[in-house]
Amino acid sequence: MRKIMILEDDPAIREELSLLLRNEGYAPLPVTDFATVTEQAAREQPDLILLDIGLPGQDGFALCAALRKAVSAPVIFVTSRDSGLDEVRALSLGGDDYITKPYSVPVLLARIKAVLRRSGAVGSTDTVEAAGLRLSLTKGTLTAAGKTVELTRNELQIMACLMGQAGQIVSRADLLDALWDSQIYIDDNSLSVNMTRLRGKLAELGLPELIKTRRGMGYQL
Amino acid sequence: MSLGEFLYDRLGRIVLWLACLGAAGLFLAATGTQPGVLALLTAVLLLIFLAVQGTDYLRQRARLRELERILEGLEEKYLFTECVPPADTLYERRLFDLMRRAGRAMTGAVSDARAAQRDYRETVESWVHEIKAPITAARLVCRQLEGEARRKLDFELAQIEAHVERALFYARAESPERDCVIRQFPLSELVFQAVENHRTLLRQSGVQIETQGLEQTVYTDKQWAVFILGQLFQNAARYRGEAPAIAISAEPLEDRVQLSVRDNGIGIPEHELPRVFDRGFTGSNGRARGGATGMGLYLCKKLSGFLDLDIQLTSEEGAGTCVTLSFPAKLTKL
Repeated sequence: MRKIMILEDDPAIREELSLLLRNEGYAPLPVTDFATVTEQAAREQPDLILLDIGLPGQDGFALCAALRKAVSAPVIFVTSRDSGLDEVRALSLGGDDYITKPYSVPVLLARIKAVLRRSGAVGSTDTVEAAGLRLSLTKGTLTAAGKTVELTRNELQIMACLMGQAGQIVSRADLLDALWDSQIYIDDNSLSVNMTRLRGKLAELGLPELIKTRRGMGYQL
Repeated sequence: MSLGEFLYDRLGRIVLWLACLGAAGLFLAATGTQPGVLALLTAVLLLIFLAVQGTDYLRQRARLRELERILEGLEEKYLFTECVPPADTLYERRLFDLMRRAGRAMTGAVSDARAAQRDYRETVESWVHEIKAPITAARLVCRQLEGEARRKLDFELAQIEAHVERALFYARAESPERDCVIRQFPLSELVFQAVENHRTLLRQSGVQIETQGLEQTVYTDKQWAVFILGQLFQNAARYRGEAPAIAISAEPLEDRVQLSVRDNGIGIPEHELPRVFDRGFTGSNGRARGGATGMGLYLCKKLSGFLDLDIQLTSEEGAGTCVTLSFPAKLTKL
């Protein structure tokens, strides 16, 4: 499990964030003693640090510099001061990403995933394999039993999302979130249309019933 | 000051003097002064009088012009009395003194007002900063809810956030020079950030977004540009029609890049178009729907001015609204 260190002074946010990250399959490390942050980080060796710039009695930017020396983990700055100067400063001090409060939860999770992927903590592969299918993300093709079809950007994202959670039910809302994270802004109806096309292409591969509709819950591969 | 004004101003003095001259003439004539001597005397006295009044007039005119020029040249007009030349006469010195005292009272009042405005802005900023923590916490708690309740709460939280954001930018727009950081950005970065900020509203309104040509780069301040785009997206979602969609496209235009945000919403009646950027103007749509503040487009216009951004709005009732933002694409004037 990826360890994510949470440096946040607001107890409500800290607890909820820990809960959320645990539910998402990460190991949260909430910090309550801000005087020994670097020592704790050096001991725990987290994979990622979420750093609130406005910690009490601390200069977030100086803290980031100290953390940078202590551990190699990427740092995502979290702040509620959204001035352009702060962002420039944060990124020049070696923050890997910058997110402002109040963040939307899917956006935060997407950013965490992206930073972990960049830092190599999560292996990023060009191909995803599941349920006897091979999806090539760079070529945009789907292969099964020697036959290959080409997918559009939207179909590719939907397929990647379903194959990433093969066997589980993926809700329409989660699918839409995943699409929006990939900057494909479609509405509910367009998702249905894309789903129908995707099923058509699966039928070309001889797998017409591969994506099951679980009424009221979502889709399942 | 014209000669006519000057003469009118001195009318009493002139009449009195002429009357005295007449009376003296009559007296001298009655007491047996020769007419030739009398005429010579009167002419000489008149000449002296005219010469005195003439120099007075010329001197006053030159003095006024000089003061006028000093005032014209001043950026802060209320500092005039600090810049006047030394007084010529006792009367002028006293007058300048009075003006100076009045001016100092004014300077004090202006700097007090400036300080109050700065305090106000800082208070609003720190208040907004504080309120973001509970909103963030509420967002996270919201994740534990399921279904309809979560959807509705998410939506309401997004509304709170949008109002808070407007309050922040309203305070910032009063003294904008402080946090403007002009840098080069690809339009896609600005647009995607704005969509991300308003995804709850856009998603729940069923809005579809199409983008085109956003790889072009512009010079602007990211926070402000994203705020402006966010206001446009909110309007598009709020005043949507059937199958709502927002088409965002960009094209280069000489040394600028024109970004169009076009929706297929309910549109704005033609007679209301000239007023859409007015502060507090909500229009018939806003009144019909409720919840409109009339601040969104007003702030867009105001912030655009600071970013050297040209903003134009066209709309057709029942067909949709198109807002065009023309960004500087080269570092020239900024």
